[in-house]
This record gives sequence, C-alpha cells and structure tokens, in this order.
Amino acid sequence: MSTILAPGSREGAAAMQTAAIKGRSLWDDARRRLFRNKAAVTGMIVLATLVLLAIVGPYLAPFRFDQINKNDVWAEPLQAGHLLGADALGRDLLARLLIGLRVSLAVGVVATFVSLVIGVLWGSVAGYAGGRVDELMMRIVDILYSLPFIFFVILLMVTFGKNFILMFVAIGAVEWLTMARIVRGQTLSLKQREFIEAAQAAGLRRGAILLRHIVPNLLGPVVVYVTLTIPGVILAESFLSFLGLGVQEPMTSLGALISHGAQEMELAPWLLIFPSMVMVVTLMAFNFIGDGLRDAIDPKDR
Amino acid sequence: MLRFLFRRLLIAIPTLFVVVTLAFFMMRAAPGNPFIGERRLAPEVERNIMAKYGLDRPLPVQYADYVGGVLHGDFGPSLKYKNKSVLQIIREGFPKSLLLGSLAMTLAAVLGVSLGVLAALRQNKGADYFAMSLAILGVCIPTFVTAPLLVLLFASTLGVVPTAGWPAPTQSLATAWKYLILPVVVLSLPQIAIISRLIRAGMIEVMRSNYVRTARAKGLPESSVVLRHALRGAILPLVSYLGPATAGVITGSLVVEQIFQLPGIGKAFVTSALQRDYTVVMGVVILYAGLIMFLNLVADVLYAMLDPRVRLS
Amino acid sequence: MSRRLILAVATLGALLLTASCDSHGGRAPCPAGKLCLEYGNTTDPRSIDPALSSLVDEDHILGDLFTGLTQYDPASKPIPGIATSWDVSPDGLVWTFHLRKSKWSDGVDLTADDFVYSLRRLVDPKTAAEYANLLYVIKNAEAVNNGKLPITALGAEAPDPYTVRITLAHPAPYFLYIVTHEAMYPVPKHVVEKWGDKWIEPEHWVSNGAYKMTQFALGDRLHAVRNPYFYDAKSVCIDEINYYPTTDIVSAERRVKRGELDFNDSIESNRVAFLRRPDQMPAYVKVNTWLGTVYMPFNGKSQPAFRDVRVRQALTMAIDRDFISQKLERGVQPAANVLVPPGTAGYPGGAEPHWASWSLERRQAEARRLLAAAGYGPNHPLKVELTLSNLASTILVFTAVQADWKEVGVTATLAPEEGQIMYADFNARNFQVGSAGWIADYNDATTFLNLLRSNTGQQNYSDYSNPAFDALMDKADHEPDPIARGVDLAKAEHLALEDATIAPILHYVSKNLVNPQLTGWKPNLADWHRTRWVCFKGRRAPG
Repeated sequence: MSTILAPGSREGAAAMQTAAIKGRSLWDDARRRLFRNKAAVTGMIVLATLVLLAIVGPYLAPFRFDQINKNDVWAEPLQAGHLLGADALGRDLLARLLIGLRVSLAVGVVATFVSLVIGVLWGSVAGYAGGRVDELMMRIVDILYSLPFIFFVILLMVTFGKNFILMFVAIGAVEWLTMARIVRGQTLSLKQREFIEAAQAAGLRRGAILLRHIVPNLLGPVVVYVTLTIPGVILAESFLSFLGLGVQEPMTSLGALISHGAQEMELAPWLLIFPSMVMVVTLMAFNFIGDGLRDAIDPKDR
Repeated sequence: MLRFLFRRLLIAIPTLFVVVTLAFFMMRAAPGNPFIGERRLAPEVERNIMAKYGLDRPLPVQYADYVGGVLHGDFGPSLKYKNKSVLQIIREGFPKSLLLGSLAMTLAAVLGVSLGVLAALRQNKGADYFAMSLAILGVCIPTFVTAPLLVLLFASTLGVVPTAGWPAPTQSLATAWKYLILPVVVLSLPQIAIISRLIRAGMIEVMRSNYVRTARAKGLPESSVVLRHALRGAILPLVSYLGPATAGVITGSLVVEQIFQLPGIGKAFVTSALQRDYTVVMGVVILYAGLIMFLNLVADVLYAMLDPRVRLS
Repeated sequence: MSRRLILAVATLGALLLTASCDSHGGRAPCPAGKLCLEYGNTTDPRSIDPALSSLVDEDHILGDLFTGLTQYDPASKPIPGIATSWDVSPDGLVWTFHLRKSKWSDGVDLTADDFVYSLRRLVDPKTAAEYANLLYVIKNAEAVNNGKLPITALGAEAPDPYTVRITLAHPAPYFLYIVTHEAMYPVPKHVVEKWGDKWIEPEHWVSNGAYKMTQFALGDRLHAVRNPYFYDAKSVCIDEINYYPTTDIVSAERRVKRGELDFNDSIESNRVAFLRRPDQMPAYVKVNTWLGTVYMPFNGKSQPAFRDVRVRQALTMAIDRDFISQKLERGVQPAANVLVPPGTAGYPGGAEPHWASWSLERRQAEARRLLAAAGYGPNHPLKVELTLSNLASTILVFTAVQADWKEVGVTATLAPEEGQIMYADFNARNFQVGSAGWIADYNDATTFLNLLRSNTGQQNYSDYSNPAFDALMDKADHEPDPIARGVDLAKAEHLALEDATIAPILHYVSKNLVNPQLTGWKPNLADWHRTRWVCFKGRRAPG
C-alpha cells in the first residue's frame, strides 16, 4: 500500500524522501499492472465512450427523448429516421436510450457517492475511535444489515413518494453499510501503523489525523469497491423500475426501458434488445475495471 | 461456542425490536390507508372500519399493542384480505419461498463451485475467460429479462415446462416439479455468477499455498489434491457469503414470484407494500430480518468449525 | 472437471426432454370424467363475503357461488333467480318478489328471511360494506348506514317465508339491475350467526349458487366444485372451477395459448392487434363494448385556473382522442366525447359538446384562443399537475394528453401514484386534474350522471354544482315515461359537458381471451359470464 507519511517529524522527513520515491513507484506498479490487463483497459475505453455518449448524445440525437411522433408508433429500426426504432408513442429509441444511459449512470454515481461519503466517515470514525463507540456504531450497521436492502428501499419509496432525489438517497443510504465495514476494517489495521503513532505524537488532533492520514490510505479498496458498487446500484434502480417505483415517465432509465421492452418482446424486440445490450455492456465495463483495479492494487490474484 | 451463541442471541433481540419499530413507523408515515378505494364510504362506516382495526387509537398505543401481539405470535389481521390473518398468509407463503430459495441456492452452489474450480484450474486460459465472462453476464442481466426470455423459449415455444403458476395440491410429484424448473434456474443465475468468482479466487489462492504443494509432493493424484485438499480451503469464503447470498435470493424471489405467479412471501410483500397492507408488510419484514440474522449466525458457526484458525470471539 | 460439467448439463437436458413427453403440459389435473374450467381472474378476491366485496373480479367468483333474487343470463340480462316472479306497485315504490323453494349447499332451506337478513347486514354500519350506497335507493337505507336508524327500519321485509317485499325511497325503473347486483346476494343466516367472521372458511362455507368454495389459497387459486343442492343443478355443465389471480397479463395470455388456462378476463390493450393475427390466437380474442368511461375531473379548489370554464373547455378540446384510441390503443378502446357510453339502456345519447365534431386543428386553435382570453399565453403560461394511476398503459395514454396540451401552451407534469393513493387524493381533493375511471354499477345513465350531482359528495371529484343540472336529474328521477326520462338525462349531460367539468377520454371495452372450445360464453355489454351457462363443445350437463 502507499506510504504517505506525516510531515513535520524528522524521521518522517527522511522516511518521506525514500517513501516518496517508493510511494510513486508503488502506484506506478499498480498503474502498470492495470494497463497490462486487457479486459480492464477495454472496459475503460468502453466506459469513457459511454460516458461521452451519455453527456453529449442527447443533444446530438435527431429527436428529443420525450417527443411524441404520432405517425411513428412502433416504428422498426431504420424506419422513418429512427435508427433504433420507436416505441408505443412513436418516441425515438436512440434518444431515449441516450437519456436512459445518462440517468442510470447519474444514479449509479450519485448514489455510490452518497454511500461512499457516509460509509467512509462512519467506518473510519468507528475504527479509529474503537471501544464502546466502535461497538455501538457497528451494532447499528449490523441491525441495518439485516433489513434486506430492497425492503427498505421499497418502504422508503412507498412512504415518501417517487421523488427522483429520494431514490438516490434511498439507494445510497443502503449501500453505505458494506462500505462502512470495509473502511472500519482498514482503519483498524492502519491505526496500528507507525506513521499514525507519529502523527499522534506530533500532536495532531484526531479529526485531522482521520482526514489527512487515514482517509487517503483507504483509497485502494475504496476505489475498487466504488467501481463494483455502481453496477449494483444501476441494477437496483432497474429492479425498482420493474416494480414501478423507479424513474417516472417521461424520464427514463436503462432499467425502465428494459422492463417495458421485456413486456413487448414479441411485438417490438428492438425495445428490449438495444437497451439490454447497452446496460450489459456498461455493467460489464465497470466489472472488468473493478476486477482490474483489484488485481493491480493487490496482485495476489495473479 | 455457547457463549458466542448466547451473545449473538442477546444482540439479535434488540435488533429485531429496532426492525419492528422502524417498519411500523415508516408504514404509518406513508400517505393513504388500505381502506380507500373508488367507492365512497359513509363517514359512520369509515369510523367503524378504523375502530375495527384499531387504527383510530393514538400511534403509541397501536405500537404497544402490536409489539405485545408479536411476542405472542400474533401479527394481526391483514388489512386488505379481510378474512386472512398475517400469520395465515405467512404460513401459506413462506414454505413455498423457502423451497424455491433452497433449491436455487443448492443449484447455485453446485454449478457455481464447479464453474469456479474449472476456471481456477484453467486460469488465464480460454476456459477461464469464458467461464468468467459467463459469470459476469449472469450478474449483469437482470432477472426480469432472463425470466421472460426463458419462458418464451421453454414454455411458449417448446412447451416443455408450464408457463406459470404453482402446482395444484392434487398434482403428482412427477408433474409438479416442472413448475419449479424455470423459477429456480432464473433465481440461481446471479448467484452462480457470484459464487463461481468467489470460488475461483479462493481456489487460485489455495492452490499456491504450502499444504497443497505438500499434497502434490506426496504424489497424490491431482483430482484428490483438488477435491479433498484445495476445495476445503476455497470453500470458506463461500460460507461467509451465505448471509448476503440469502439476502440476494430473497430479493430475487420478488421478481421471480411475480413473473411466474408463485404464491410465495416475496410476492405477498410487494403487493402488500403497494396496497398499504401494513400488518402483512411488517410481518414479512420481521420474518426476513430474523431469517437473515439466523443464517449469518449459522455461517459464522460453520466458518469457525471449518477453519480451525478462527476463534469465535 | 469439464467432462463432469458436460455430463451434468447433458443429464439436465435429457430430463427436460423427457418432461416434454407429458400430455397435458401445465394444466391442473382434473378428476377423471369431470369437466374443469381453468379461469384467469387477474386478482385475488379481498374477501368472498358478498357484503365485503366490491371489485369486478370478486364478482366473477361470487356470481358463481351465489344466486340472488334475479341473476344474469348469458347476455347479462336479469332473469329470475331465486325469485320466480315479481310485481311492482303502481307508484313504483313497492317491489314484491315471490321465491321458489330452494336449499343452501348444506341442505338447509333458503327462505325470505335470509334475504332480509342479508340486506340489513349490508347496510349495517358495523359491517362496513363498500357497496352500501348502492342500496340507498331503498327506503331508510342511507339513514341506517349512517347510524341514524336501527337496521330493522330498512325498507325490506319477509311477510312470509317465500315473499320478499322491498320499499324504495323513490321510483327507480332500473331497480331490477340493482337486485341482480352482488350487493343483494343472500348469505346463510344460520352459518353467519353461528361462526361470525369465520363463516367463509372452507370448513364452514355454505352458499346457494351453482358452485361452492372448497379451497382458497392466496396468490395461488380459489377452488370451487358443483353444488348438488343448487335449484337448477341439472343444467350446470362444468363440475369444478379453479380461479387464478393472473396479475401478469402477458403471462396469462401465454398460459391461455398453451391450454393451461381456458379463459383470462383481460388482455393487454396494445397486444390485441397482435393476437388477432392469423398465426396467433384470433379465435380467442373477444373484445366488446363495456359500460365504462375514462375521464379527467378538473379540481377548481386547488387550481384556480380551473374555475374558469374557458380554461376547462380549452383543455378538453385540445386532446387528440383519435390518436389515443386508434394508434395508442390500436383501435381497441373507442374515443369518448361523452360520459355515458353509447349503448346504455334507455338513453338516446347526443349529449356531445358543440366542439366534438370539429377537426383537431380547429379545436386546438380555439383552445389557444380561449386560453388567451382567460389570460394565459407565452408570457403567462399555464402549469398544471396531472394525477394518474401508475399503470404502464395509463401513463402511456396521459403522456399523449400531456403532449397535446403542450401544443396549446399548457405544461402538465405527470404525477403517477398507486391506485389507492390516487383515489385517496381524489377524495381529499388533493389534485389539480386527474385521471379517473367509472364502470357502470347497473345499466342506466344515472350510474354515471349521479357522479356529478352537487350532493354526491366525495365521488364528485370536480365538485360540479349546477342547479340546472340537479333539477334535470331530479325531474328524471320522478319521470315515469322512459323516453322523456332519457331526454332529460341527455339534456343534463350536455350541460355538464358544455361546462367541461370533466373531460371524457375513452370508453372501456371488455377484453377477454376465451378458449374457442367453450360454449355458452357470449360477449355482452356488462361482461358477466356466469360459469353455470358455460360448457365445452361436445359435452353436456347431466340434465
């Protein structure tokens, strides 16, 4: 792992020089391993393309995603200017797919970010504080863990209405539990390391130690976890859409497109095929990247 | 061991309590109540309904009543299905979901382990990439896509299995099992994917370890090395995955029961949540919370038994 | 290792192949020599106690388990049931029914007492019956239901064991339809009094219809078998029925195709054209007019713009109903410019507002003009919220309405909600414009028009209050000549539609998938198809 040292101590200063060189080369190693992993690289290229499409695509598409074309109902691909066909209201599938991709990626990123922030703070505080505080905080995590996620989210969505923002919060508020556990574990082991002792000896306040020393060292597993959580969140949102609790019309997401498409399989297979392909490719890209990152940072698995 | 179990039980009770409380107040905070429909009710009638179900009393009183009832095993009447109690609904639905889930987990374990071992033994070769790509696909394609596709193929087109439904009580075993094939397969697919990756990672690590090298050096046949020595060690992460796996299967059963019209507890939960049938929702939440805690406990105990290096704290 | 995997897969495949050698596929087993009907019924009944039921799907089952004073024939016309004949007093207020001798399914005699008991039980506020208000046409029923009078004050009595006499609060020529309604099914007094709420358990179950219930498993099926004590058991052909809650319409369609179900009571609207293709299942598709209308009430209480009649007229004019009906719904559900569907008994129709026959362009131009006159335009755009149910097909339809309104400069946001929440919001007037549906309780225009009376209360979602309308309705209530009555009602409807208090969108159609091997199943306006009339080709009732 990286070895960022606390500034301000004499040993620290000397060690920092060597560590700085060592640190850079450790990250270098990881980066090299990552880029040698063909699957991960492919994943990164694909993901970059998808993100680009999601951001820019809707502005370039020939139709707006909510534009009803009364004469193009159920248009097949390549008919009437619809590259991928049209749906029951004559809305262009390509435009809706791009918007759906944007929404799904946004949900994935934002919800994961929410869970990241809560989880990292919670876990690092619990791990660092130790003792009773740690016990209590992890008990709470255990309790919440035994509510299967989906029940909790359904309850939330049903209780407070189908607010778009709420969905981010709901999903994020459930995913932070695993993050908290991982972070706590890491914090516990980091706590024993000398540079933390050094920082404490130097008189740094606990909060500062937490933020400036512990958290940056969590980067490794956290990054891996994030790339593997985003696909889970996207799947969760698609699941909610299937139950009717996800994004509301006319806005759409990959999951909503797929669950509507699955209903019309025999009538308009393009409504299922294209969104499914995009979703699978997106999720696979994340998975390959995540696996690659994990292999790169922790090369035991070779 | 006993102290460990006792401590876990001590934690389990307040946990369940918190779960019940959370679910209760969340459901009550929701807008709407189960008695609103299209038809107008005379105010007198509405008053009577609310009184009949005790919904006109102050919230803390309702809560206390409910918790008291739960301790006696009485989860109250269903608010929507006027002649069924929650316990009745759970008793009818849970065994079916349990059957479905157990079969799916068994299938997932068998196929997942096989796939994972295969991939580990042929690491970084064609078979490995193939198996792992299959695994990732299994996780990335949602169940509500695989299910209708499989139904369309096997039930509608080929006609080898029924389209949906639960076998009738008068049905013979020979025909009844066919109703479960597709749901079990669909439910197990994501788990097969995850388990195979876990086993693969575990096997790879174990195959490099000292004791496997020793076994090989002793001249044991490869299959024995793999099956009797390596697999034992690689299985461990699977045991600790048991808890999350169950949660995953429970979640998956919501979709599968819906699509295949199976009268399990997952379908009952979704319907009840959408219909504001508070009592059923809470009953199911308590059930699942208890189940997951129980299985986590079993997993921890199993893990300790299998890996003598672990000391139960 | 890989060899083992291949072996396992091969075994599984072989098992599946041998499974195909099964003759009846996924159809439930039927005892030898008996005729079984596999019935797809969309939802589980919330209760099989007639007093606690109000949904159409529940009545599918209850109509097979119970027989009222009158019953529906295959064309949904009321014919004698337990009552062999009836007379009406000259003033139209007293209806006397003469009963035949018949028994309950446990052999106990069925008498007039059972009917009076059941009626009192229905209006008793303690029962909390949802259909109690259907019986308000009976004298004192409303007062009893509101707790102001004892149940014995209800205008129903049994002067002798085989005569039921009902006194009405006002003349009602359509009363026979109410008598046939499930609200008036008899319940076995001797069982209900003995077992209370538990009387509907399979071990206590007693009913008087062609069938009796033997098993009810939620989410699974309700099983009913022939009732040997039914007064006309000889003419009943089907021996056993399984009612399945087929919540997934498309899955039910596939089951019907494979013969696992004989019948399903609904079809996904935009699949009807597909199923009618020659290579699909055209003979199964039965689409028929159904007395019901989808309409949008405007709530002036929460959206001040809706208090201006010009705004309401503009909004209802601007909707392209033809697109919705022809393209979206694939021609299955007809466009509606009126509330009372054509074909309603005793109704001349012709109540359309004056713009109904204009072209879409003309209507939208007029709508823009009206909105401008009311003060809304590009500088002061009108923004409204549309509350609707969260069913996919409903959302589809109203997305089109949203786009139509956009054409005339009105921005509408869709707020889909669960059916229950939606109705709660409607009742509490917690909405601006909504999407509501109404299915006729009985075949007469008043079942629709009563929604708009000023004293209707909760279900008059738009709070329409027009003294001229009320006066016409009152006049019609007391009009003995059916033709004049029809004219009065049409005049009243026209007033309401010109006022655009609601915007009708579509009329319902009944869509059923029916096994072509079934006989005795006739498409009809009210969509009732009692199983006692149904049989399979080439088979007959014991006779």
